[in-house]
Amino acid sequence: MSARKFAADKLLWETLGRWKRSSPELDRIQFLKTVPFFDRLSNRQLKRVSDIMFERSYDADESIFEEGQPGAALFLILDGKIAIEICRETSTTRLAVLERGAFFGEMALLDDSPRSANARALELTRTLALYRNDLNGLMHRHARTACQIYRSLASMIGDRLRSTNQLVQMKISAETTGLE
Amino acid sequence: MSNGQNFEEKERERKIRRKIFYLTFATLALISGGFLIWKLSILILPIIVGCLLAFVFRPVKDRFRVRWLPHELQVLCSFVAIGVVLFFAFNTLRKHIPDEQQKLEFKVRLQYKLNARYRQLVAKLPERKSNAVTPLIEKEVGPLMDKVNQALALDPKERDLFLKYAAGYNGKFPIQSKFVDYFWANQGTGKYVIPEKIPISPAPAGAPIGVAPTPAPPASEGASLENKLSAWMLAPLIFIFLGFDNGQIRRFFISLVPNRYFELSLTVLDELDDAIGRYLRGTLLECFLVGLALALGLILLGIPMGIAVAIGVLSGLLNAIPFLGTVIALVIGVGYALIAENVTPLIPGLNPNDLALYVLILVVIVHVLDDVVFQPFVLGSAANVHPLVVVIAIIAGSLIMGLWGMLFAIPTVVVVKTAVATFFKELKDYRII
Repeated sequence: MSARKFAADKLLWETLGRWKRSSPELDRIQFLKTVPFFDRLSNRQLKRVSDIMFERSYDADESIFEEGQPGAALFLILDGKIAIEICRETSTTRLAVLERGAFFGEMALLDDSPRSANARALELTRTLALYRNDLNGLMHRHARTACQIYRSLASMIGDRLRSTNQLVQMKISAETTGLE
Repeated sequence: MSNGQNFEEKERERKIRRKIFYLTFATLALISGGFLIWKLSILILPIIVGCLLAFVFRPVKDRFRVRWLPHELQVLCSFVAIGVVLFFAFNTLRKHIPDEQQKLEFKVRLQYKLNARYRQLVAKLPERKSNAVTPLIEKEVGPLMDKVNQALALDPKERDLFLKYAAGYNGKFPIQSKFVDYFWANQGTGKYVIPEKIPISPAPAGAPIGVAPTPAPPASEGASLENKLSAWMLAPLIFIFLGFDNGQIRRFFISLVPNRYFELSLTVLDELDDAIGRYLRGTLLECFLVGLALALGLILLGIPMGIAVAIGVLSGLLNAIPFLGTVIALVIGVGYALIAENVTPLIPGLNPNDLALYVLILVVIVHVLDDVVFQPFVLGSAANVHPLVVVIAIIAGSLIMGLWGMLFAIPTVVVVKTAVATFFKELKDYRII
């Protein structure tokens, strides 16, 4: 092979590589890889999940969902900041501020029970939404991929339950110590 | 002015601009959409049919999953499977669709048999009642029979063709001599009611005598047929492209929805898809069961299997039109029963001469079976539409789009009803209203 042809080939492959690296689809898959929810999935499986996700942009102070509304989708933060808040008659309690890579509203993947808090964008925010019935559809088409997601969800709920139990135990022991 | 106030002011202006833009865009879209619908009304029906076919066959496509095949190839394979099944079904049906010779033969047989039955009925009347009843029947049924004879009588061109077929024409077997006798007997059938003499007014001066005015064929008839054919080419194309769609169309429409209604629109779309899909597939299954029951019943009554299956398929398809489907099944079934000959019912004890009566009873039984068993079990409450709404919808459908309108009237009513109910329920659940 001549040196000239080799250089042309190299240039072509480099251009293709740059193009591939900068494709939004690949960016999205790279992003999903960093989310703990999907850490068990291979690239091919991530591509399937990425195909069924919806990208949404929210302005600063725009509501994503409100407390009491039926939950339908899990949200992942691509860019920006989200506040999770509970509104009472007189006050608003901020439970958490979530940033890129975090996810919220995951209980909506299980059923349409009402949202337990409000989610509001604090700045211009891009999210990826995974709709419950799309995940159910994925279960019929690619059961292994959907099972991995459900497994992650189950282990995450287990972790939360354990930490809640610990909190309850700590509170009970504190009350018992106080009584003594 | 502080930076914060400036920002708020800009945001307010942006919101106003956005509203004006959306309003202008929506108005323009509505006007151009309305204009296109008005101008391209010929395309509406093929588009609806293509979409409905894609919708009904989607579960077949979704079930056809081979892990190592790419999506496009899987869809292609499912299309091939559907195509092969449809091809064999149509091929089987086509064999039982009467050709030109059989059509002429059926007309002759039906006319002969109806006249024979009528004469038999008049002759069978009891002697002592005959003075009172016979004139009444002759007065009431006679004109009807005259009209039937007029409708079934072959015109001169058809008569020539029948005689050619009787001698063997176009490479076909000659018509049985018995049916040729029927033909000659039909030629001798006179009118049952003698018309009163109408005074003939003299023709105006200058008017041509003995020449009936013939309407000129419309010039654009050929072009219109060509347009219709090319429009109908759209239906399979839409079916194929919707089959290849992997959720992109839904994603596009969802992307247009404001954030506030994002989850709501996903839920509404999904529930609508589920409800309408269940209704359409349920209706298809119900039609299949009605057709099957009718075909089996006709076979038990001794009607040849091919004819019974053809009547079953046609009646099953037309069953999608409430009320009218049953009436058409009755007309076709009884019509065939009247001309059927050498029929031996598989059920012992049945008199072959009363076949038309048995077919009538069979159609009633199948109709009751449909109402009591098939509809409640297959459709459930999906099609709970008031009978008055059904009647009005069918009449309105027929006025707007003829037979197609009648066929699509009830699905349209069910779709609108489900859409409105789901939409309002979800709007309330999401505390939007």
